[in-house]
Amino acid sequence: MTVPAGYGLRPLAPELVLLGAAVAALFVHLFAGRRGRRAAGYVALAGTGAAGLVLALTPASSEALFGGHFIADPFALYVKAAILLAGALALVLAFRFFDIEGGEPGEAYTLMLLVTVGMMAAVSAADVVTTYVGFELFAIPSYVLAGIFKKERRSAEAGIKYFFLGTLSSAIMLLGLALVFGLAGTTSYAAAGPALAGAPSRAVVVAMALVFAGLFFKAAFVPFHMWAPDVYEGAPTPLAVFLSTAPKAAVVAVLVRAMTALFGAESAAWSLVLQAAAVATMFWGNLAALTQKSLKRMLGYSAIAQAGYIAIGLAAWGDTARMAVLYYIVAYIVMNAAAFGLILLAARGGRFDETIDGLRGLVRRSPVAAAGVLVVLLSLTGIPPTAGFMGKYFLFTAAVEKGMVLLAAAGALNSAISLFYYFRIGKAIFLEDAAPEAGPGGPEGLSRTVTAVLAVSAAALLLLGLLPGLLTAPAVRAVLGG
Amino acid sequence: MNVLGLPILTFITFLPVAGMLVVLALPGSRARAIKIAANVFAGLEFAATLLLLTRFDAASGEMQLVERLPWIKSLGAQYLLGVDGISLLLVLLTSLLTFVATLSSWNAVKGRLKEYYVFLLLLETGMIGVFLALDLLLFYVFWEVVLVPMYFLIGVWGGERRLYAAIKFFLYTLFGSVAMLIGILVLRGQHQTFDWTAMVAAGSVVPAALQGWIFLAFFLGFAIKVPMFPFHTWLPDAHVEAPTAGSVILAGVLLKMGAYGFLRFSLPLLPEAARRYAPAMAVLALVSIVYGALVSLMQKDMKKLIAYSSVSHMGFVMLGLFALTPMAAKGAVLQMINHGLSTGALFLIVGVLYERRHTRLIAEFGGLSARMPVYAAVFLVMTMSSIGLPGLNGFIGEFMILLGTFPVSWLWTAIAATGIVLGAGYMLWLYQRVMFGKIVHPANESLKDLTVREFATFLPLLVLVFWIGLFPRPFLDVIDKPVEKIIRIVNPSHFEAPR
Repeated sequence: MTVPAGYGLRPLAPELVLLGAAVAALFVHLFAGRRGRRAAGYVALAGTGAAGLVLALTPASSEALFGGHFIADPFALYVKAAILLAGALALVLAFRFFDIEGGEPGEAYTLMLLVTVGMMAAVSAADVVTTYVGFELFAIPSYVLAGIFKKERRSAEAGIKYFFLGTLSSAIMLLGLALVFGLAGTTSYAAAGPALAGAPSRAVVVAMALVFAGLFFKAAFVPFHMWAPDVYEGAPTPLAVFLSTAPKAAVVAVLVRAMTALFGAESAAWSLVLQAAAVATMFWGNLAALTQKSLKRMLGYSAIAQAGYIAIGLAAWGDTARMAVLYYIVAYIVMNAAAFGLILLAARGGRFDETIDGLRGLVRRSPVAAAGVLVVLLSLTGIPPTAGFMGKYFLFTAAVEKGMVLLAAAGALNSAISLFYYFRIGKAIFLEDAAPEAGPGGPEGLSRTVTAVLAVSAAALLLLGLLPGLLTAPAVRAVLGG
Repeated sequence: MNVLGLPILTFITFLPVAGMLVVLALPGSRARAIKIAANVFAGLEFAATLLLLTRFDAASGEMQLVERLPWIKSLGAQYLLGVDGISLLLVLLTSLLTFVATLSSWNAVKGRLKEYYVFLLLLETGMIGVFLALDLLLFYVFWEVVLVPMYFLIGVWGGERRLYAAIKFFLYTLFGSVAMLIGILVLRGQHQTFDWTAMVAAGSVVPAALQGWIFLAFFLGFAIKVPMFPFHTWLPDAHVEAPTAGSVILAGVLLKMGAYGFLRFSLPLLPEAARRYAPAMAVLALVSIVYGALVSLMQKDMKKLIAYSSVSHMGFVMLGLFALTPMAAKGAVLQMINHGLSTGALFLIVGVLYERRHTRLIAEFGGLSARMPVYAAVFLVMTMSSIGLPGLNGFIGEFMILLGTFPVSWLWTAIAATGIVLGAGYMLWLYQRVMFGKIVHPANESLKDLTVREFATFLPLLVLVFWIGLFPRPFLDVIDKPVEKIIRIVNPSHFEAPR
């Protein structure tokens, strides 16, 4: 669909709505006093919902707008919807988290919305400068989010670590983008691509390596993942949900633009790099997760490994891979959010139990939550009939179609390895017993919000696993642009 | 043909899921209602599969009652079900054994009843789906669906080392099946479809070298399931720890899924590779036969003995399949059914004693025939069936396999025959030690014979054991055409050679 020129700010409307909601949440938090904690969250959630609605009404167009800086093509709209989904899930989980932990949620809500705006801007960027600005808008508040519990050592450490490594990676990426400008003489993706194709290949590869390094860092691809387990573990859980899901969707979108628009001529090089990254990320994430005792840290490594599967699709980029990656991103967001949400299910004495043993006998306490977790675990492992299986299956198909059978086999092998640690959770929940009063939640009981999140996520994962067409159809539309 | 508005194959595939939902809806405190509902649905399912017989044309070797719906359009996967004689017998076996297993659980299972029957019924849908799916992706989905309930059946209601056995079973089979998934994807890349019928119709479009790799990937998936030596190590653990019903289904149906996979997919879709690897497969099968039998001889635990005997018996099935002659392959299919009946019954027999004495050690028993005459008779029939006594089902299957293998290699036949001798050895010795002699252990003095319900669970198995043994024609007629069709694809030279 093409949109007539001069239709104003409409393509930017979702971002503007979110920005407005961020400011509103900040003010609600300032003036509503203690009761305002939850209120700011409601404003943020309403803002996210409104942005989603506006996004759904935004006409797709492959035309670059605002002086060639911004593009709202179907691909960008799809990824932005995924980012909003991640934001909404994190916000719902945040309600539960701050109910128990206290803290200063108003700031967190505002910052989360700002991060979201930054990611959405980066996804829609049609110009490398806009990409960078969007990335910084998402990066700087996320450092603060990781360290938002400044009095808690783990959180503060996570914030500092994320900040130092993050700024370094931003600088590296900026250097790469500067090289792109130097070689192409333009900052627009559309114009830089053909120019780079004529530039000296070696210089282009150096620029690409620098840009990719920056992006790999934000996606936590091995070997740029070192920050991720500490940040996912140290950050408050809902923010760990947010930081382990939404940025990956944004980075994938930017990576795809960089791969296809900027470095299309070097496809052999980036495919090789991404294959290596996929294999390293999957194996590293899964093998490291095997040895973890903390549920949260295990899920942190699992989130790294899951991103490795997405890298398979990027390495095998093409029509099938595009559909596969777009499908898997949504599945990944839902199952990852639900898995981290599990940590928030049971609290005792104002603390969340982050061990696997704390889940023993959950099936007795809440069969619904336990059944939900089971589906989520099956999906994470990649066992049908769940969305996680379908997503992996699409990704492997894409790889096989490109002749990368070994890459697909590595993915499949990893899926089997991951069973071992995912089903340590399943074992605790279903096969091991705990005395009723010592079971999950203890006398305080279980969170209804989290139970609902688990049940709804499980239903969604099953539905998408049985009828993947529900998601692939929009994904296909995002591919074809209609 | 439709049942309640649904095409019949869909109906029998998903009827257990309906039962599962009914059980789920019942309050957990109403144990009796849960048991009744589960048994009713398992019985209805068996009746529904019998209904299938009335619509089935045994004269045809083609897929029948085919149901085809688009499923994942972007990749050409379909919801595609169909039945031929091979599937038909296995579906009947599945519904019968599930019904028997459900019935046998009435008193045996204590605690978490609702979940138990939910998993049992879900398992049934998975197994039926495996035997009916003709789209390879759909097949894979059902194949994996089977894993989860079995993991829980072993892990929750199993014996002492259940946690270890459950995860071992799950990990082993998942490793195999992801390898198979890659094989399926590569195969799809060659055929541009997941449709089994279309792949068979297309003939040999896959290059021979690639066939070898795909065969290997399928081999990992199927051989672990069968299980063939050296992939059998999960089996004794899983069997010993599983509850009786779990063992019955595991041995009776799940192992058949592996053999079925070889027959349905590896042979006709990868004929050149199957021919090339047939000798190697036969050797592995022979190792399984002899090794399984030798290990059985040494067991002290009855359940472990029967578990290892399954390795040996499934070795026979594999030998029959990879002899690549119609006679041996038909024997193999029949032997799949026979093994399901007799080993399923033997696990039930062990379960009966275990329920009464809470031990399965052979040394704990002896002289039971005096106290439990009906039980002794049932046990004897099943022992003979397992050994392959003429007049009972096991004989027909084993004889056909040996007969069909002989023209290929007398040596294989001879080695396999020693397996039969060893089989007679461990089974008769087991029977002797448990049933004959004097009662040594005082607790055995007061053992009760089979109850009516228990006998009812054995009755259909007994009937079939004699029926197949005395009058196998109806069973062989059904599998004749489809098996021959597959062997014609994989080994056409067999039909050209002068007799």
